[in-house]
Amino acid sequence: MSPQLRRNLLVAALLVGSALSPAAFAQEVNPDASIRIGSLYEPQNLDNTAGAGQGINEAFNGNVYEALFQLTDAGSVEPKLVDSYEASEDGLTYTFKLKDGVTFHSGEPLTAADVKYSIERVTAEASQSSRKRSLSTITGIETPDDQTVVITLSARSISLPYNLSYVWIVNDAATDITATEDGTGPYSLAEWRRGSALALERFDGYWGEAPSNGEVVYTYFTDATALNNALLTNAVDIITSVQSPDSLAQFAGNSSFTVTEGASTTKELLAYNDRVAPFDNVLVRKALARATDKARLLNSIWGDYGTLIGSFVPPTDPWYVDLTGVDAYDVESAKALLAEAGYPDGFEFTLDTPDYDPHPIVAQFLQTEYAKIGVTVNINIITANEWYTKIYQEKNFEATLQEHVNHRDIVFYGNPDFYWGYNNPEVVQLVADAEAASSEDEQTEKLRQANEIIAEDAASNWLYLYPQIVVSAANVTGYPVNGLNSQFFAYDIEKSE
Amino acid sequence: MTPAAITAAPDHCRPSLILWAGIVLVGLHVLVGLLSLVWLPYDPTAMAGGRLEGPSLLHWIGTDRLGRDLLTHLMIGSRIALIVGLGAVAIGAALGVTLGLLAAFASKWLDDALAATLDILIAFPTLLIAMLVVAASDTANLWSAIIALGIALSAIVARLTRILAKRVLVMDYITAARTSGSSWPKIVAIHILPNIWPTLSVNFALQFGLAVIAEASLSYLGLGAPPPNASWGRILQEAQGTVYTAPLGAIAPGLALVSLAIGVNLLADGLRDTIDPTRRAR
Repeated sequence: MSPQLRRNLLVAALLVGSALSPAAFAQEVNPDASIRIGSLYEPQNLDNTAGAGQGINEAFNGNVYEALFQLTDAGSVEPKLVDSYEASEDGLTYTFKLKDGVTFHSGEPLTAADVKYSIERVTAEASQSSRKRSLSTITGIETPDDQTVVITLSARSISLPYNLSYVWIVNDAATDITATEDGTGPYSLAEWRRGSALALERFDGYWGEAPSNGEVVYTYFTDATALNNALLTNAVDIITSVQSPDSLAQFAGNSSFTVTEGASTTKELLAYNDRVAPFDNVLVRKALARATDKARLLNSIWGDYGTLIGSFVPPTDPWYVDLTGVDAYDVESAKALLAEAGYPDGFEFTLDTPDYDPHPIVAQFLQTEYAKIGVTVNINIITANEWYTKIYQEKNFEATLQEHVNHRDIVFYGNPDFYWGYNNPEVVQLVADAEAASSEDEQTEKLRQANEIIAEDAASNWLYLYPQIVVSAANVTGYPVNGLNSQFFAYDIEKSE
Repeated sequence: MTPAAITAAPDHCRPSLILWAGIVLVGLHVLVGLLSLVWLPYDPTAMAGGRLEGPSLLHWIGTDRLGRDLLTHLMIGSRIALIVGLGAVAIGAALGVTLGLLAAFASKWLDDALAATLDILIAFPTLLIAMLVVAASDTANLWSAIIALGIALSAIVARLTRILAKRVLVMDYITAARTSGSSWPKIVAIHILPNIWPTLSVNFALQFGLAVIAEASLSYLGLGAPPPNASWGRILQEAQGTVYTAPLGAIAPGLALVSLAIGVNLLADGLRDTIDPTRRAR
């Protein structure tokens, strides 16, 4: 297609888009508007403890289900279904008072028994929740009356409120919540059409402030280009996360759309298997870190977007420090380190590369970069499923690429059994001490130290932080821009029409 | 000039024109492929330019996201496409012709069994069989793609060989050769292969085109030769996300693929028209 023809088609598409777009008429906020959200992450089922994927958090967290606490879009943890709470002197007993007048969508009132049931659902044997391990210090849950829950712990756990923000409060009488729901949130499930869409409608019996819109429809796409086209043709109002800077070219600088860059927690990683030679040698890991021109890589993948990071911690985590200066790009010193480590002529390794963008292109970048210091990279393309079994479960790999989306996940480096096998007793201790800390300042201080150690150890090669970009039609406002932990609270979204 | 000569003229030029167009298109790719062995504009892994540069004197069809020269990658892609096409057809021909002859000569029972097996194999799309073979091998590489496609193509070749050979086998001169004591290998070499070769060779050319497209599809799905081998399919896949900002990155490998596939098909058409006596007589 010639550039001229391409431009004409684009203009035509935009004209159609803006002609249909209500923004063209500058109208008032419609309190009953239907908000159409385009996403790539369709949930496998409707239960976040049954391997439903990140899509269920996007659709249901804070919208359909609520937790005792909520991780806000700004990153703070605030009480939600909890009216007040207190911890005992030794930090081993927490007493929570529940809010009055909260009802489930089925009409039943919220009671302490529901909370106990909901927590036990996550910690249960069969639960596939990724947060199961962080709640393992819970030894008992008592319900002295309908409004009071007492949790006892085996060890201090300063992130208990944070961890409880992942625990949906579900009616203990609910059945089959993989296909239906019974939560306390501002929306109830209207319809779920598998493979295409999930619709939520305003719940009139909601205990808190009513949503600013009438319904929310998540429409699912398998292809980022199709998703972009849906926004261009006004088939959706919002795209929750844009996948490449090149698709932004269609929206940036166009008054029919709003492009917002929020704070991201998604880190692109070259993860070594720190158990196996030569990656058990810190000098080798440092050498590879210094041989990586991360600024150039980030520019190749994301153009002018994204952020460089010197460790696993994004700027939104409280224990962030700028560590980009540790093992900065320096090919000569990388060669010297390799020689010192006993590999003056380099070595060869296999890089297991997930088959979806941007991993294959990142792998080729690294292949070229490391050839300069005599290190040969053999790229082995694998599927996401293979990654999960071969690398995450069997830990059978030398090095791999992966994006890690979670917030506050530096604790993975305190777990020697994690797939990358980083085992530094000092870090293990610091992560454990941080959890047992008596104040947030102490926790932050311990994790900051752990953060500095993993950076000095070059435990993994942290390539860059993805940008978090939300694009919407110009007549839609009030949506969350950071999307921490894939959440997407829809209740404040306003649409003029 | 007689009226007959005038009406006959287009028929005479048609085969040669098609054949020539095919030869030129395929020849171009062969030349580029050979050239890529001795000379390339850039080192294929060198990130010599900026991100997604447009065409310029330095980079004739621009650069990819990593700033690598696209022309260099397309040239290597030509070579890989030809290697895969030739390799897959060679394997498909060796396997297919052997199996087809075996079926033609076998007892009725074995022949029926073989024919049914081939029909079942042909019922599966070529690409699906190739994907199964690649998935069964541990790591994807150029050879696994070639072998996978060769196996997938062999069923089609085998069925064709079987039918053609059977047609020849009932001829009187075969009966004569058998009664005069010729051995089976001799009959195959002297009587059968020369007779079925023209039709088979046309079919091989068509299979070559299929193999080239199938390899691009495998690479597009990440099942082809791994980087740094540049395959058109992978270049296409990598350019997919940038098609709005740098359309040439997707259009150029697409055109390369289409031109080779069309070239091979024209070549096969032209060959058939030239070789097949029933068409020549028209």
